[in-house]
Amino acid sequence: MLVHSRGARWALWAVFLVLFLPLFALPLLVVLGASLATHWSSVLPSGLTLANYRSATRGEALQALLTSLLTAAGASVLALATGTWAALAGASLKKRGKRVLDALFMLPVAVPSVVVGLSVLVAFSKPPLLLNGTRWIVILAHTVLVTAFAHQSVSAAVTRLDPAYEQAAASLGARPSYVLWRVRLPLLLPSLTAAAGLCFALSMGELSATMMLYPPDWTPLPVLIYAATDRGALFSGSAVAVVLMAATLLVLFAVSRVRTRASYR
Amino acid sequence: MAEAVRTARAVGGGARRPRPFGALVWALPPVALLALFFLYPLALVVQQSFRPDSGGTSVQPYADVFASEAFRKALWTTVWLAPASTAGCLVLGFLLALVIAFVPFPGAKAVARFVDVFLSFPSFLITLALLFVYGTVGMANGAWTGLTGAAQGPFQFLNTPWGVLLAETTYFTPFVMRPLLAAFSQLDTAQLEAASSLGARAPRIVRKVILPEALPALAAGGSLVLVLCLNEFGIVLFTGAKGVTTLPMLVYSKAILESDYPGACVVAVVNVLISVGLYGLYRVVSRRAGA
Amino acid sequence: MSIRFDSVTVAYDGDVVLDALDLTVEPGEVMALLGPSGSGKTTALRAVAGFVRPASGRVLLGGRDVTDLPPYRRGVGMVVQQYALFPHMRVDENVAFGLRARGTARSEIRRRVAEALEMTGMAAYARRHPRELSGGQQQRVAIARALAIRPGVLLLDEPLSALDARLRSGMLAELARLHRDLPDVTMLYVTHDQVEALTLADRIAVMDKARLRACGTPRELYRAPADEFTASFVGGANLLPVTVGREGVGFAGTEVKVDTAAAVAGARATLCVRPHLVGLGEGPNRLTGVVREIQWRGATHRLYVRVGEHDVMADVRELKDPPGRGDEVTLHFASDDAVLLPAGVGHG
Repeated sequence: MLVHSRGARWALWAVFLVLFLPLFALPLLVVLGASLATHWSSVLPSGLTLANYRSATRGEALQALLTSLLTAAGASVLALATGTWAALAGASLKKRGKRVLDALFMLPVAVPSVVVGLSVLVAFSKPPLLLNGTRWIVILAHTVLVTAFAHQSVSAAVTRLDPAYEQAAASLGARPSYVLWRVRLPLLLPSLTAAAGLCFALSMGELSATMMLYPPDWTPLPVLIYAATDRGALFSGSAVAVVLMAATLLVLFAVSRVRTRASYR
Repeated sequence: MAEAVRTARAVGGGARRPRPFGALVWALPPVALLALFFLYPLALVVQQSFRPDSGGTSVQPYADVFASEAFRKALWTTVWLAPASTAGCLVLGFLLALVIAFVPFPGAKAVARFVDVFLSFPSFLITLALLFVYGTVGMANGAWTGLTGAAQGPFQFLNTPWGVLLAETTYFTPFVMRPLLAAFSQLDTAQLEAASSLGARAPRIVRKVILPEALPALAAGGSLVLVLCLNEFGIVLFTGAKGVTTLPMLVYSKAILESDYPGACVVAVVNVLISVGLYGLYRVVSRRAGA
Repeated sequence: MSIRFDSVTVAYDGDVVLDALDLTVEPGEVMALLGPSGSGKTTALRAVAGFVRPASGRVLLGGRDVTDLPPYRRGVGMVVQQYALFPHMRVDENVAFGLRARGTARSEIRRRVAEALEMTGMAAYARRHPRELSGGQQQRVAIARALAIRPGVLLLDEPLSALDARLRSGMLAELARLHRDLPDVTMLYVTHDQVEALTLADRIAVMDKARLRACGTPRELYRAPADEFTASFVGGANLLPVTVGREGVGFAGTEVKVDTAAAVAGARATLCVRPHLVGLGEGPNRLTGVVREIQWRGATHRLYVRVGEHDVMADVRELKDPPGRGDEVTLHFASDDAVLLPAGVGHG
């Protein structure tokens, strides 16, 4: 323990709360509160109602939720496949090759999402790959954006994987493809699910590239939230935001359950 | 003989025989995908930035953009806002992580988990929340007018860069806290106990023992946050203020609102150069730090 | 199946970790590779398994050159220190892994898994997961897994060093029994523990600094080590610097009678005497000195006696009335218990 005096400790905790609560807890509580209200012009919201949620779970909003879930699921699966493939291929490269591969796959983190959106728009607005105006361009951009994170976390897990397992498998007569399916991938499963959760959450909240690309019939939740706040409908926008957070958390929770099962099998 | 031995590399670790060529072939498909869907579009952006609407290839778009007031303002806003937010995140993140790790209280673990959850929410939620807290008719101003009877509250900074600064600092602080908490958990508590048994007081221990250990994590987290701040779009968009334009915002408005693609591409190239440069720095720093 | 190293050299980034190893293990033989860490013994084993590629030289299994074969085409069983049991598979799935990988028929797999588990005494644990087993049990499963593929060669890389001392001697007996049950399986056993090597091996290859120092039966190496390193690493020894005389050697001013047939008179040499062959009191080949240190080790006392400028170690049956530090004592040893070695680094 760093601070021994009881008074000093309490003082520190007080400072912690004063910083932590308004900065981190308050925003989430405020959005939650607003989603249940119709007015907010004093300390507490007023005009409590569930109407915001009624509209946030049907029609346009429900469509957007479905759009977001499908986009996130699609992008996560594609990103996980590409990222895992690259991570596994990178592990058997020599040092310099691995470094180049890592740098290439981390590049999308450094490039602004808006620019990724713009570049995809520029590249796929004309034949041969005319994707502009379809849902695929949104899913594609999300995939590009989250692949970097999938690659990074799987790549770290591959490095941590004890080579003794694959060597034991090889000495027992298993060829590399069999070792991959029966030993390496199962051992990587906890990290793969963690990476999937991360990709999903990032894609659910993606706004920058989506704003550049979304066609009218494929409007994800963040865009809908922006549209609502832009026209001043802050309270119904909050309800949609709470739906977004809840959906994200639910999926993350489900994924972490899978992960616990996988690591204690 | 010695030469022959030196050139013949033994392969340890991997279970497979050395197949450098085969390994390269396996690396090709993901790289090809990345090239087609990321690198090639990026190259097109660069190409487009040299193609003014008037036709031909020239640096005219660059000249036009650099000359415009809007670009210079956006560049300036981006360039001061990002380091300022980063500095805020570093100070705040260090303080909070310090308390969680070394002056733990009941529920400190839950707070650490909350930080993780916080990371999985989109950034614009913060701005949305701030609208309710500090907005013209929000909580703080509402309380003020209710108490004093004034017509307007004192908090009118949301539409200024300060609002963006507050939002970015809030949202990105967990990005600093996470690597810090990881670094703190590896810090040998025996070291702290030794230091305090020698009579060192808390501030001195923080300065002499904890800070040096945390420096790599701070550097890595800080540079990541700097890049993310440079590229942040959602927070600025939701602020909805005409006065606050950053480079990503300018890319969006030029491309989508004005349909000025060459101009948007020029701004994009500038933005990419700045953030990729900084990101390269981050990679070097974090590799040094072993992160 | 025999194992043959034909001038095998292995280098990592220019560092030679195995230098031109020539060694043949006969079919059905247990060969221990004994040496300190970094001696190249594990590298030699991994060259047989196929995990390291020799810079030069060939590895032959049963007369077949396997140097260029990948590990999964070599058909050797391997057991490593940390067991490397697949944590996501049950014990029986672990044991069946090698058979499944080569597409063995289902009924055959069931039979062979049962057989391997029976042989290692793990039949009752077939449906457990590795994390539910103790270290010793995990090691048995690892052995069963390696034996299930019926390898001609079993490679054991420090298989007992993760176990505590009590378990270790039990497992050592188990391994000896396994070898009696499977007389056709050739075993290459890497260890840094001389007791394991002496107990289990038909022959021991002593390695140091990437080279093979000596190879022979445990008895040969123990009774007549070829050099100082082998003498001290296999069994521990007094290595006394001596000068060769006509009918014996001179040590610390005393004449000691030993066989000097192999040495040139006047040359410097090292006299090797095992501590437990040194007796306390009067006898042939007397050495007189002062007790510098005495350690009680239960059944024996270990004495460090300063003779001239050197310490002589003696392990004697537990003494009722042991000498104290600083007491003058007389030591002796039989002439045929001493071996004269070429002078080495220990020569002062």
